[in-house]
Order: sequence, then C-alpha cells, then structure tokens
Amino acid sequence: MSVNSKPFQSRLGVSRRQVLKGLGAASSLPLIGGFAAPAFATGSDGRVVVIGGGFGGATAAKYLKRANPNLSVTLVEPARTFYTCPFSNLFLGGLREMSKIAHGYDELRDRYGVEVVHTMAQDIDPDGHSVSLANGDTLHYDKLVLSPGIDIRWNALEGYDEAAAELAPHAWKAGPQTELLKRQIEDMDDGGTFVLVAPENPFRCPPGPYERASMVAHYLAQHKPSSKVLILDAKDNFSKQGLFTGGWEQLYGDSIEWVGLSGDGRVTRVDAENLEVETEFGTVHRADVLNVVPPQKAGWIAERAGVTDASGWVPVKPESFESQQVADIYVVGDASVAAPMPKSGFCANAQAKVAAAAIVAALRGDSTPEPYWSNTCYSLIGPEYGISVAGVYRIQDGVIAEVEGSGGLSPSDASAEIRQMEAEYAVGWYNAICQDTWGTEA
Amino acid sequence: MNVRLPRAATAAIAASLLLGATQQALADDYDLQREVMAGGCANCHGTDGARAGNVPPLAGRDADYLEERLLAFKRNEVADTTIMNRIAKGFSDDELASLAEHFANVEQE
Ligand SMILES: Cc1cc2nc3c(=O)[nH]c(=O)nc-3n(C[C@H](O)[C@H](O)[C@H](O)COP(=O)(O)OP(=O)(O)OC[C@H]3O[C@@H](n4cnc5c(N)ncnc54)[C@H](O)[C@@H]3O)c2cc1C
Ligand code: HEC
Repeated sequence: MSVNSKPFQSRLGVSRRQVLKGLGAASSLPLIGGFAAPAFATGSDGRVVVIGGGFGGATAAKYLKRANPNLSVTLVEPARTFYTCPFSNLFLGGLREMSKIAHGYDELRDRYGVEVVHTMAQDIDPDGHSVSLANGDTLHYDKLVLSPGIDIRWNALEGYDEAAAELAPHAWKAGPQTELLKRQIEDMDDGGTFVLVAPENPFRCPPGPYERASMVAHYLAQHKPSSKVLILDAKDNFSKQGLFTGGWEQLYGDSIEWVGLSGDGRVTRVDAENLEVETEFGTVHRADVLNVVPPQKAGWIAERAGVTDASGWVPVKPESFESQQVADIYVVGDASVAAPMPKSGFCANAQAKVAAAAIVAALRGDSTPEPYWSNTCYSLIGPEYGISVAGVYRIQDGVIAEVEGSGGLSPSDASAEIRQMEAEYAVGWYNAICQDTWGTEA
Repeated sequence: MNVRLPRAATAAIAASLLLGATQQALADDYDLQREVMAGGCANCHGTDGARAGNVPPLAGRDADYLEERLLAFKRNEVADTTIMNRIAKGFSDDELASLAEHFANVEQE
C-alpha cells in the first residue's frame, strides 16, 4: 500500500492544515485586549458535542468542522487509541497486527480543530442541553451527536454475563477481548473445535461472524490442520451466505460446519466454565475455544438520553438521523435503526456525514440537504479471496430504501483474479475509510 | 496551537485576520448538498477522493474522463470492474456528471 499523507487542498490552493493553523491563532484572539473576536472565531456559529470517537463519531466531528470551521465541536471518547472491529478478524487469522488496526485523534485535533476530551459521557440532560462527563465537567450543546456503538445484552443469552466473557470471549468490540480470543486460538491443541455462536438479527456487522469463521479456519489450516470450526446460528440465512459457503468449500473443505436455526443451531444456554453450549432442542456442544457473539443493543448512553425505544435501538428521522423522540440529539452508527442499511462502519461513516450536514444546515437556518448513503461490506474468506456486498440508499416514501438496481453481491461465478482483486481492494477500502474517519494510516 | 502574548501576538493577529478571511471563503465554497452526495465515495477513494492507494484517486482529474468512466460502470461496459458497476447504478446520469465535476474541482497539491 502506498502511503498518502498529502494535506487536503481547497480550490483556493490553501491547505486546510494552513487554514487551521490560522484558526488556532484566531481562537486565542478573545484573550487579546483591544481586539474584538472576529466573526470567524471558532464556536461563534454554535456548539456541537459528539459522544463516541468510533466510525460514526469521529466522522461526524471531522465533517462538521469541514463544513463550518466556525462551529465549536467537542468529541468525547474515553480511549486514546481506538481499535477497529473491521480487520480485527484479520488479526485473529494472523494476517495483521493489533497495531495495524489502531487509530488516534491527533488529526481531528490538530488539523480540524476538534476539541477531543478523553473521558466518558455519564449522563445527558436533554432539556438543559447538557452532558455530564466522568471527569466532573459539564458540556453544553446546541446539537448533540451520539455514536456510542453497541453494548452487550448481558444474560439475554442464559449464562452469558461479563464474567463468562472472560472465559468465552465475544470479541465484538475490538481490544482486549480480541487479544484474549487470539491467545485462546493459539493455545488450542491441534484437533480442537472452535465454536462460534451467532445471534439473531439485528446485530453489528451481519457478515462479521462468517468472516471470523473464515479467518480462524485460515489460521487453523496453517497451524493446527486437524482442527474444526463449528458455527451455531440462531438464523436460517446469513449475509453473503452463498458466497461464504462456496468459498469455505473451496478453501477449507469440510473443516467449517454451519448449523442454522432449523438444524437446531440456536444456542439457548452458555456454560462458559466448561466451554459448553446447549441448543434449543437440548443438544450440548463442547468447545475447545468458545466465541459467543451475543445479543446486542445501542450503547447505554443512548438510554440515558431517552432516545432508545423498546427494541433497545434508536429510531431516527431518516433525512437527518435526529432522534424521533428527543429534539437536537442525532444518533448515527450501530445504535440507530437504519434498516435496510446494515450496522457497519461504512454506514456509520455515511450516516455521520448526513447528520453533520443536517446540523450545519439547521444551525444556519437552512433546509436539510437531501441525503445520500452507500455501503460496502468486504469480507475476506482467505488472504487472496475477497467478497463484497454493496448498496446505495435514498429516501423513498419517507423511509430509507435501497436504490433499485444498485448494489448487490459479488458475482457467484467470479474468477480467482476477481476474488483476489476484491481482497486487495478490501485493504484499499480499510485504509481509505480510516483516513477519512481519523486521518490516520494504521 | 497556544499563542502566548505578547511576542507572537502581532504575527498571530495578522495571520489570523488573513487566514480567517480565507477560511470564510472556504466555508462559502463548501457545497453542502454536493458534499453529501459525494460523501460515500470517500470511504474507498479517501477524503475528497484524494487518496492514492490501489483504489484510484479522483481528486483533480479530468471531469469528462471521470463522467465517462462512471457512465461506463453504470452501463456494464467495464470488463474488470469489481464494485463500481454496483455503486454507479445508485445514481442518475446527471448525478454522476455532478460527481465527476465535484471531484475534478478538488485541487491537488
Ligand atoms: C468482527 C467485526 C468485523 C467488522 N468488520 C467490518 C467491516 O469489514 N466493514 C464495516 O463497515 N464494518 C465492520 N464491522 C462493524 C463496525 O465495527 C461497526 O459497525 C462500527 O464500529 C459502528 O460505528 P459506531 O460509531 O456506531 O460505533 P463504534 O465504532 O463502536 O464507536 C463507538 C465509540 O463510542 C464510545 N463510547 C460509547 N459510550 C460512550 C460514552 N458514554 N461516552 C463516551 N464515549 C462512548 C466507545 O468507546 C467507542 O469508541 C465489524 C464489526 C465486527 C465486530
Ligand atoms: C467500496 C469502494 C468504493 C466506493 C464506495 C466507490 N468506489 Fe470508485 N472505485 C473503487 C474501485 C475498487 C475502483 C476500480 C474499479 C472497480 O474495481 O470497480 C474504482 C474506480 C472508480 C473510478 C474510475 C477511476 C479511473 O481511474 O478510471 C471512478 C471515476 C470512481 N471509482 C468514482 C467513484 C465515485 C464518484 C464514487 C461515489 C459515488 C465511488 N467511486 C465510490 C472503489 C469504490
């Protein structure tokens, strides 16, 4: 991959980096006696607080500042280093280091003038338009963006609580959980069984469990070739199913087995201590490594804001991603209900841009721009075997809909060359979306 | 970014007034509607389509060339396309022309 760190240049030939250096100086102007703060001083056009520095939140902060540098934008995110779930499966497969899925916040701060606060948002007062932080501070906002991602519904699957996740990791948020799962796979004896428990819809990253099974199978084929991967699924159909099963057969023979709902694949109880799971009709499966992708809901701060509904997710107005329940709170990414868009990093980024534009327009008293979204989920079945599903979305009859004739799956009969090109473009996509979101090259 | 008085003050004020004006022009130059339409392209082509990786860059390239390519993807006239055929079909011909124009007008260093 070639590394591109050229700063953006505007049509006027002035890079935004230079402009923001100017902005930094401008923001200190109010301190200087005798000079009134000029109209372009940061913050004069409104205050926006963004909670969560993942795909949705970091993108929202950047695109708010790009569209209107006069906004004051504060990003609240506890982590100084964000590990992406995208490509964390490649880490499990031995194709990538953790340091190559790590991103920071320097560019948002230094180049775009976003104020980044590394702490947790604790509570939200929608009437007072304020957010209280774990560090004791309170932030006031005109508009609030929430992109808190998911939380696990502990105990929704019997026996699967926080303690169980230390024995049978979910690794559905990248970081220590991912590293724990990797160690377990490395410590497993050859001939062992890796069991992956897959949830019902909706959940973060519909093709994610199946890419994970592929990457684990790739690792096992190289290091512990007598081992198996067993997927126990609460569904009868899954994302890119035909492409996955075709690829599995070709690359891994019968070492990946998938059991769907009607084959008694739905797990109803987890015994993490004994690495056993029980299915709906009482079959008990023993694992050597047990990876449970559990039921999920919107990140808990969304509940504190009063924007979630009975489903645990957040209904939003499609044109702006403003909450249907609470004014001036915009919710993007996995936490939102945006079907038919999947819960992907790509969609979180796309929704954040729509929300940022809607906020900029609203604060100016302009009408909301017409929204456009797209998505592409690449999955790697092997290092040189990539597949994808894409979609372009617009509003039709008041709801989000896929543009007819757009998007769809990689062809089922694609040549090995095309599969390899898609594997390479998956890396190109990863580098581009991370550049677009955090400005960093992992 | 902390400018401390008084040593840097004069320079800072001069710079900020000058660049402040440019910044205002920049914000005015930012076509919110077109940015929203082009937003999804950045996920593979980088911010402003300016990333030069294995996915080809779009920024500052000839508008007619970009438009012709986009229309060809949409009409299934590109043999080795992996993804753009599926994406281009999500836009009208006019929207593709507007996207081509948009990326052609991003200045490269
Ligand atoms: C194994 C796996 C593979 C995946 N692969 C892909 C892929 O190939 N392509 C793709 O597009 N998507 C992929 N995804 C999906 C992708 O990770 C998510 O859709 C994406 O992260 C959603 O973005 P988000 O902004 O909603 O949440 P996140 O990216 O999770 O960001 C949420 C952030 O909010 C912060 N936060 C939460 N609560 C608070 C609070 N109270 N105060 C402050 N901060 C808070 C968290 O610390 C976190 O940093 C994958 C997911 C998994 C699990
Ligand atoms: C999911 C990744 C992805 C997205 C999203 C995407 N592109 Fe592409 N683009 C590619 C790839 C990969 C190619 C190479 C051709 C192919 O394989 O389809 C390409 C090629 C192109 C080309 C041809 C460039 C050349 O040098 O001939 C143009 C023009 C283009 N894209 C425009 C766009 C526009 C405009 C958008 C947004 C509407 C967009 N792309 C969105 C991945 C993407």
